Amino acid sequence: MANQFYWQLPTSGDARYGDATRQRRGEAADPNYPVFGSGVTDPRQNAFNYYDYIHQVTKAADISGFTGVFIPDNPDGEEPWIVAGYIARSTQRLKLLTQFDASRGSAVYAAKNAVSFQRYTGGRFAWHITEGNSDEHTRKQLGDFVPKEDILARIDEFITVAKGVLTTYPFNFVGRFFEVQDGGFQGPLSSREVPRVYLSGSSDEQVALSAKHADVHVLEAAGHETIAQQIARYQQAASTNAPEFALRIDVLARETREEALADAKRFLGQTGAPIPKDESSLLWPGFAAEYTGANASLIGSYDEVAAALAAYANLGVTQFVLAAVPHFEEAYRVGSYVLPLVRELTRPAQKQAA
Amino acid sequence: MTIDVFWRIPTHGEPSSHRARSPFRGDWFPGNDNRTLSGLSGGGDDGFTYIDYLAEIARAAEISGFQGGLIPSFPNTDEPWVISAFLARETKNFRFMIPFQPGFLNPVTAARMTASLQRATGGRALYNIITGGGGPSQLWWGDPVKHDDRYGRTTEFLDVLKGIWAGGPFSYNGQFYQVEDAGLPDPLSKEEYPEIYFSGSSDAALASASKHADYYLSWLEPFDLIKDKFARVKERTDQLGRKIKCSIRVDILARPTEEEAWREISRGFDNIPKDVLDRYKAQNAGDSVGASRQRGLRPQTINSYKDFILSPNIWTGFNLLRGGQTLGIVGSYENVAARLDELVQLGADAFILASTPHLEEAYRVGEEVLPLVRGKAGAGNLRAVA
Repeated sequence: MANQFYWQLPTSGDARYGDATRQRRGEAADPNYPVFGSGVTDPRQNAFNYYDYIHQVTKAADISGFTGVFIPDNPDGEEPWIVAGYIARSTQRLKLLTQFDASRGSAVYAAKNAVSFQRYTGGRFAWHITEGNSDEHTRKQLGDFVPKEDILARIDEFITVAKGVLTTYPFNFVGRFFEVQDGGFQGPLSSREVPRVYLSGSSDEQVALSAKHADVHVLEAAGHETIAQQIARYQQAASTNAPEFALRIDVLARETREEALADAKRFLGQTGAPIPKDESSLLWPGFAAEYTGANASLIGSYDEVAAALAAYANLGVTQFVLAAVPHFEEAYRVGSYVLPLVRELTRPAQKQAA
Repeated sequence: MTIDVFWRIPTHGEPSSHRARSPFRGDWFPGNDNRTLSGLSGGGDDGFTYIDYLAEIARAAEISGFQGGLIPSFPNTDEPWVISAFLARETKNFRFMIPFQPGFLNPVTAARMTASLQRATGGRALYNIITGGGGPSQLWWGDPVKHDDRYGRTTEFLDVLKGIWAGGPFSYNGQFYQVEDAGLPDPLSKEEYPEIYFSGSSDAALASASKHADYYLSWLEPFDLIKDKFARVKERTDQLGRKIKCSIRVDILARPTEEEAWREISRGFDNIPKDVLDRYKAQNAGDSVGASRQRGLRPQTINSYKDFILSPNIWTGFNLLRGGQTLGIVGSYENVAARLDELVQLGADAFILASTPHLEEAYRVGEEVLPLVRGKAGAGNLRAVA
């Protein structure tokens, strides 16, 4: 099966090229204040907002050959399922990988929501279920008072109930967090594809939950050796059910390594972050984490970045969740210059020869 | 002040007319073998799904002068938040009335989704808050809370929603919901709070509605009952120092002449299979007060569609033709407009209308009926109707 490439949508703002200042592109910060000076007529008024920009990033990912878009759940940004619905009718092909946590409400209702997505998109909807924010106060701000030690158990029940009502009638369940009696969809809502479930985390409990429910296990960006260890450990723990592996990693790729380094340093300079002493590494931890949520970024020439991604693929990663700032321009760049090289390097015949 | 008129999105499938019973227009139920009967489906995987048909209806409604539409939600119908978000970009004015039960969503999630949908649509989202029919069907939804408790929960849900919307940090410690220092981030916080249409007929419902609703929403009931109900709601709301408007959700069947309209009903009635009629006579389920009020209107003997005529132009058999409420208005364009005007005199400030098929009938009602409605301008000046 061919590798899958997801491009992340910037749900909580984006920068522009060469300028790390986060803004809401396409949206006047103050609708009464003209963005242009007195020299140029501004015809936009309030005709556009940030959703129009998100839509453009989606089209960019579609046109430049990505498999899908990843729609992260950032409490400071737009709500992922609304974003997914908003863009869904503008693409016939992109998969919609949405991130959320199990505190959002009824598992039955989440399943119902998923059925409609599947009906209307031909099965392109997928779930990345997280544990939500690690900070207890932030979770309480979001109305989630379940103790930290119960969060995985709630995810377990959430998925059990959602899959149950999607695939079984009548479905009955009594748990600690959810209860259903004679549930399950019938008629037009029956027999739709269960959204593919993505889970993440490297603790024993997280791996066990993932082995039980996940179709894809999401790994956070790390060096090749670490990723190899995580995959080996996972496969050992979950020998009966080995899912696919996805890697969430940022990319800053330029024609030459020198250009990539210059842009990386400019970005860090503008965000006030320290510039690493050792520039030889391809992987820069924490590079744009505040903007994209990814642990680390690959920084290098198109060839270097593609080779690094292909090396992850050789370790068993089959899906990549990629991002770069600004997401619109970089979708075209990565789709045009990096993905074709990765595809070339990971063609089955070449893998055998390697 | 003028009357607001909404249309309905047929989430429960669409027959091609009131006569037809096969609701598979637009591939609502792609797995069903009867779909060749629908007259509007490609057959096989033609790339179109039911949302393409719903998009046509939403466009027809906004072009024909409706404010927007109610997107009803039943266990086995598509989900209204999804429909709203999917149609956001291809409609201009259409307002999405989303029914939901507080048990479906954490109120903070609901606030985020709503604010996001307001941004995606330019402020076109509004709610129809439903508290639920009760009984075993609530546990189908995964909701174990009992009938009267559910209204308490609805009140709490809207307390939290409104509190978050008003600007954080907002804290709340209720029986059903807790939040601590909650709020919406910029720029989601700048959006308009959605208008709230509120359904429910019990005392517990009215108590909750009078606190939080902008519009009290009722099915059509016999006119004297509707008048009493609206008067009660407005009285309770007055006591709280608030104002509430009233609205009616009603199916209509309008034709150039009254004869043509009844002929359509007659043909539809003749097509009802015997077992459906038998089941109808035996029906009795759920603890919704509104549903049991409507059951009380069933005729004692059923020989013809005429047995269902309650009063001029009011027919009580609509739920036999398709799922939903029992009472509807049948008549000429003038008849239907006159009945709507009467309801305005009884306290209605808004309508949610529907007719089958929703696509063509949106044009018909928008072009032929709505221009005849005089609304409040006609107060004390009702025209005589034969």
